[in-house]
Amino acid sequence: MERILTRFVTALRERGVRVSPGENLDAVSALALGGLSGRESVRALLRLTLVKNSSEFPAFEEVFDRFFSTTQSEALGMDPVDMLGAMIHIVEGEQLKAEAKKRPDDDSIKLAVDEEVTAEELEDLLGMEESDDDSAGAEIKVQLDGYRGKLDAPTPADYYQKAPPSVAFHHKQGDKRTVAFTLAELADMQEVVCKMLVRMHKDVRRMKQRQSRGKLHVIRTIQKNYRHGMVPFLLSLRRKIKDRPRLVVLCDVSFSVSHAYRFMLLLLHTLHNRVMDVRSFIFNKELVEITAMLRNTPVNCLLETIDKGEIVNMDDNSDYGNVFQTFKQKHLENMRGKPAVIILGDGRNNYNEANDWALEEIREKAGYMLWLTPEERETWERGDCLLELYGTYCDKVEVVRNVDELSLRVEDLFRTVYADHPYWRAAERRKKTEKDEAPVAYWNYYTKKTPTDQPVFAMQPSPGSPEWKTRFGVRYIKRH
Amino acid sequence: MITEQRVKDLLRSDGYIADEAIATAVFLALRMEKPILIEGPPGVGKTGLAKTLAHVLDFPLVRLQCYEGIDEGKALYDWEYGKQLLYTQLLRTQLDNYLTVAADLREAVERLSAEESLFFSRNFLVQRPILRSFLSEKQSVLLIDEIDRSGDEFEALLLECLSDFQVSIPELGVIHANHKPLVILTSNGTRLISDALRRRCLFLFIGYPELEREVAIVRARYPELCDELAMQMVTFLRKVRELNLRKPPSVSETLDWAHVLTILHAERLSLAVVKSTVGAIAKHQADLEQVLDLAANELR
Repeated sequence: MERILTRFVTALRERGVRVSPGENLDAVSALALGGLSGRESVRALLRLTLVKNSSEFPAFEEVFDRFFSTTQSEALGMDPVDMLGAMIHIVEGEQLKAEAKKRPDDDSIKLAVDEEVTAEELEDLLGMEESDDDSAGAEIKVQLDGYRGKLDAPTPADYYQKAPPSVAFHHKQGDKRTVAFTLAELADMQEVVCKMLVRMHKDVRRMKQRQSRGKLHVIRTIQKNYRHGMVPFLLSLRRKIKDRPRLVVLCDVSFSVSHAYRFMLLLLHTLHNRVMDVRSFIFNKELVEITAMLRNTPVNCLLETIDKGEIVNMDDNSDYGNVFQTFKQKHLENMRGKPAVIILGDGRNNYNEANDWALEEIREKAGYMLWLTPEERETWERGDCLLELYGTYCDKVEVVRNVDELSLRVEDLFRTVYADHPYWRAAERRKKTEKDEAPVAYWNYYTKKTPTDQPVFAMQPSPGSPEWKTRFGVRYIKRH
Repeated sequence: MITEQRVKDLLRSDGYIADEAIATAVFLALRMEKPILIEGPPGVGKTGLAKTLAHVLDFPLVRLQCYEGIDEGKALYDWEYGKQLLYTQLLRTQLDNYLTVAADLREAVERLSAEESLFFSRNFLVQRPILRSFLSEKQSVLLIDEIDRSGDEFEALLLECLSDFQVSIPELGVIHANHKPLVILTSNGTRLISDALRRRCLFLFIGYPELEREVAIVRARYPELCDELAMQMVTFLRKVRELNLRKPPSVSETLDWAHVLTILHAERLSLAVVKSTVGAIAKHQADLEQVLDLAANELR
């Protein structure tokens, strides 16, 4: 019996279920107890002892059915003809998928670019496109296609990549641009968020512990220790900080970043209730605040409404300049304190006014500004992308390629924001006044608020080298 | 000799209809002395299982409700500072007499420290739920409710208690359980429970029951409800669950509704009945409208 069970456990492990030897032993001793009636209770017993996560149940059921199949005809518990059919189906499905990926939009824009397009070719195309004002959409498409080719193959966990830009390409008037979350997708995202919250929770607690230092509140301490005969076992302190850090998020919802903003909203929605105050805005051409909606409607429904274009018009092209101006005029005055600002978008302004002065004023008001973009650094200056310009006003510009990276970035930001709270800022200042005089390191300009030992760019040319000069030398002049 | 079937019958006798998985879990937990970790949506009978078990097995139920910031002082044990102080005050004269015999300060300190254990004895120990269930006179059911609300530290604290059924108190040493309690942990899955804790438990997932089992649950609790109506309401509720509601009705809502319908002496389900009793199944304004829409389509 032990041998059969061990083989069963091995089969489970091959399907990705984590089973420890201790759990295997549990199962053996549970089976040895007897008192069971029938196949279903053995199934229940094995599931109880071996599987410790409800997401692993389907895998368990599959392995159990295959391993302890009631019909002895086939080793795989499957008719060979059926299996052949299934395999053909799978192979065909893969081919179809590949074709679907390659096929570009056919009714509005007549420009197809291969997956294997080279950077030079792309640039040539872009040069051509820039003279033509009306083809902004086509140009975005070309860039994305090129970008898509450079990515790794998507894994099931990477929703960011998996939600394919092609979904957006095939849209017609009134079509849904993106599919609503499936339950599994939602659960996976929840899991990422949960993990992040667990990681962050420790920091929150540490912060709270640090906050609990302060002057003694004599009256409250005496009241609290009344039952201990006024001996102060339990202390009560005067707390200095009562408010939580504030965060403002501007999310581009145009199709070029559609897969990222969905996760972002979910993330912020979860964060909002737990650790900080978040005000969320979405924009395409115009800017709309959705904080109240996030609070009152389930995320899934809200995303659907956004995708239908009922909140912001999805048929416009994104206009960052307009958005920054609106934000500055309508909302900036109403912000309390110094909110940290996150902007999620690719910075593609569709050749509208840049209005970077508005961004500068926003930065002045904000305590911290972070820009998250899905695009690699090389494309920041191509076409209508104004990220190079906008980036100079931000404290940090980060490339996020998938959900995990996004959650990490937000986590970092959260730490920065907490550490950046006025009280701690004052404490930090007291600690190191002389260190501010250190010479400015231009190559890590974007990371000036974080420790310098974390390079933002993957391949960092050494400062002073010719390569460095061409890439960073002239453009980055520190602004004060 | 307890068997799985016997567990099922026992639970049924108290109106708890268990399926294979639940019965097997309870059976194994009793035989292997391992805790059960129950996960599932709210209101499917996770806490109910513990209560029913305590009732049918005639064990006392010790309940520990978890919340954010719960610590060992609230879960395991605490020292009764007030009582300690009171005793030192009252025994002052005794102490004076006792210490005047001492020749010098050094001896006085020695004499006092020899009696130190008096003040850190079980007299001054407040037993919190876990310790109480360990030290109870007969075997008990220890229900640790909504573990996902507590923090990581508390989970780590539980590891020792749950795997070895012992509590380490620095002043007293290790206290072993007189009777190993039947431990039931419940979680709504708002936070991932650590693998270390999962590994020490039998993992039981209770989802929404199948049609037959849910009807049986309603019938067991409200036998005066006619068969047809029970079938009708459960079928309707299963459809409601498929709607995308904020709070889908659970088994507890089914039972509430059944209760309401028995009080109203309803004969069969109609739109009017649903309209007047919808508060029992839908708990949000938006949900309410969706349920009524469904009722208007399904029932006439």
